[in-house]
Amino acid sequence: MIAEDQALLREGLARLFGDAGHDVVATVGDGDRLRGAVSEHHPDLAVVDVRMPPTFTDEGIRAAHWIRDAHPEVGVLVLSQHVEAAGAADLVTQSGFGYLLKDRVLEVDEFMEAAERVARGGSALDPKVVQRLVSADAGMNELSEREREVLSLMAEGLTNAGVARRLFLTERTVESHVRNVFLKLDLAAEEDGHRRVLAVLSFLKRSQ
Amino acid sequence: MDPVRRSKTLAWSLGALIAALVLAVLMLVAGAGERHEFWGDALAVVAVFTTTGVGLAITARQPGNRIGWLLMLNGLLLVLSGLAEGWAAYSAEHPGALPGERLAAVWDTNGWPLLFAAIVALAFVFPDGRLPSRRWRPAVALAVVAFSCTLLGGLLSGDRLDEPFEHVRPLDVLPGATSGALQGLGLLGMVIAFVLALSALVVRFRRAEGEQRTQIKWIAWAGAFIPLSIVLGTLDPSDAPGIATFVGLVLVEIAIPGAIGVAILRYRLYDIDRLISATLVYAVLTVCLGTSFAAVALVLGIVLGGGSVAATAAATLAVTLAFRPLRDRVQRLVDRRFDRLRYEANRQVDAFLAELREGRAQPEAVGAVLAVAVSDPSLRVFFWLPSEGQHGDDAGHPVPVLPAEPAGRTPVRRGELHLATIVHLPQASGPSPLLDDLIVRAGLAIEIARLRVEVRHQLAEVEASRSRIVSAGLEERRRLERDLHDGAQQRLISLGLELRHAQHELGAGEASATLDSVVAGLTDAITELRELASGVRPAALDDGLAPALEELAARAPIRTEVTATSERFSADLEAAAYFVASEGLTNAVKHAGGSQVRLQARRSDGRLVLRVEDDGRGGAAPGGGSGLVGLADRVAALGGELDLQSSEGRGTALVAEFPCGQ
Repeated sequence: MIAEDQALLREGLARLFGDAGHDVVATVGDGDRLRGAVSEHHPDLAVVDVRMPPTFTDEGIRAAHWIRDAHPEVGVLVLSQHVEAAGAADLVTQSGFGYLLKDRVLEVDEFMEAAERVARGGSALDPKVVQRLVSADAGMNELSEREREVLSLMAEGLTNAGVARRLFLTERTVESHVRNVFLKLDLAAEEDGHRRVLAVLSFLKRSQ
Repeated sequence: MDPVRRSKTLAWSLGALIAALVLAVLMLVAGAGERHEFWGDALAVVAVFTTTGVGLAITARQPGNRIGWLLMLNGLLLVLSGLAEGWAAYSAEHPGALPGERLAAVWDTNGWPLLFAAIVALAFVFPDGRLPSRRWRPAVALAVVAFSCTLLGGLLSGDRLDEPFEHVRPLDVLPGATSGALQGLGLLGMVIAFVLALSALVVRFRRAEGEQRTQIKWIAWAGAFIPLSIVLGTLDPSDAPGIATFVGLVLVEIAIPGAIGVAILRYRLYDIDRLISATLVYAVLTVCLGTSFAAVALVLGIVLGGGSVAATAAATLAVTLAFRPLRDRVQRLVDRRFDRLRYEANRQVDAFLAELREGRAQPEAVGAVLAVAVSDPSLRVFFWLPSEGQHGDDAGHPVPVLPAEPAGRTPVRRGELHLATIVHLPQASGPSPLLDDLIVRAGLAIEIARLRVEVRHQLAEVEASRSRIVSAGLEERRRLERDLHDGAQQRLISLGLELRHAQHELGAGEASATLDSVVAGLTDAITELRELASGVRPAALDDGLAPALEELAARAPIRTEVTATSERFSADLEAAAYFVASEGLTNAVKHAGGSQVRLQARRSDGRLVLRVEDDGRGGAAPGGGSGLVGLADRVAALGGELDLQSSEGRGTALVAEFPCGQ
């Protein structure tokens, strides 16, 4: 399910998902049709543009809120022109939600990975957003460069394996970094990958 | 020589001539022996100098006004009459010492009509030096003929001359009947000319308004001395005009030029009502008390016997007791007729004008002063704004429609120029002459106030237009940013997606690697585009000042701490504050060399205070770059102020304060 008001981009996204082997059940151009289509098709994932008609402000964010309330099982991936955290702030700590900048779609593999993660109930947060969260926190000074990188990738929603792949490290090394981060930030160690992400995000949001 | 200088020279020469003649007369009189009362001479000299002095003053200020010249002519005629008398007297004492003894004596007896000629002429042309209209020319001609007949009939007659020159032989050119007829007809004509001159003044008074009315009142007041002088004249025996006649005449000759001077030169012009009132009160008092005294003295004299000291004392006591209550009563009567309100109102306006001159009052207060002066609290002055084609209030705010209530309207003009409209309670009796007078009196204050109000209005206009320009610039930035994001950026992403699709279709291979690098280039272009759009206007401003400052801080290459209120302000205000922060941050990074910047945005006393503070080397000067000047302009456009606080070694703080309402 794709909600994007610009036809070219909408079709491009649909083809992208098609190329990756997914079924696109509906493409719509505004928030109201999105609501109708979600109720009708119950998709695994709704990809939603933030700015859509009629107001071109935060239509997408409001639609995302609506989907979270009405159909919690549907994953929502919000695409934005730029980092505008205001409306999305409440959603980033929930499961099955992603927030990415639009140009990420060109990094097809990572984008698909994030989309699939969200569809499965995981989360995906744009590195720019994470960067802002991380840089805003004074407590981050205690972390080493590498530990900060690991934390950022965790916040983006990646698993240990994903982090290891991205940083060209072994999973064991990543695990030890993660332990150190949790220790230094005084967070309870979480085994479950997804809940771990949420803990990190909650911490970052709290300290902002 | 130009006309103004020529007339000045002429006036001063005439003045000097008159002064010389006065001196000559005094010498002649002294030479003639103790034949004159000292006070009479002194009064005559004062009269000559009054009329001449006032004439000189008027010709100096208004060379074109004939009144000045008529007054000087009057002085000349007076002194010539004195000269004739002195000449004749000296010749009588020292026979043969001077030539023209006979002529001087004849003139002394028969030259008197000329003493009134200038006065009548003045009445015809007062106060502007011109006849009321061309229709008055025959009246002037009649006056000239009448005065000439009387003068010539007298000079050329064989009638005996007045004392003490009865021994001198008259000219006796005309037969007695002819000269008698000439003098009779001349006198009749003179009386008619007097009446005509008086009616010229009355006509003018009826037609006049404001200042001219007041000017004519002065003449009327002085003219009251003419009947007084006649009454005084009757006290003398008719065959030998003595001191009483003389004093009356001199009073007229002093009072009239004096009043003319006041009226034309406008010095204390508006005190006339009080003067008339006081004159009337004391004239009535004198008559009443004098009559009472005479009556009481007469009755008691009859009862107690003539010449009784007791009668005189009792009469004096009665008059003294009657004085206070009588004075109060007469004063009230006169006030009712001659409007003390007007005097009070004029006094209030004068006091205001004096305060204005001394800088203790604002010209815009003229409305409030007029409201008090005419006892109409609803009175308001609306000043005309020519640039708007409508009225404005004290503050310069346009008032397109004057309030319906109160319904009275009085326009204020200066020449052709409309200055203001005064809105006041309507007068049942039509336009209020008091208000008209006060408007004339306060005219300059109203004009100054109007100019100030207009300047204020135009300043507000300029400020509003500057604010609109800045606002339009910010709106343009917002549109540009939208276009970049929603247009170019989306388009590039779509193209990227098409390339990815093509890559997928082609499968792995050499082309795929090429496409990867093309997409990477495209991504860089998109990133650059986003940076560009953000520089034009950060999209985060849509979410408010605080998020925008956060984003600014996040991008900064230096540690930046943000303390910002989450309150929302107008879009223009938020944008301006953001750009101040951005500029301040840029400067801190470029020049300060510090390790940390603090960005602060808070509300304080209805103002949004934005503070950018670094811990660098300080010593920044505001004039250095045009960046700060442009920034200051942008802040000022929103009514704010920009302040740079920087001292050597103690960091720099850039502080902008904007009014943001309550």
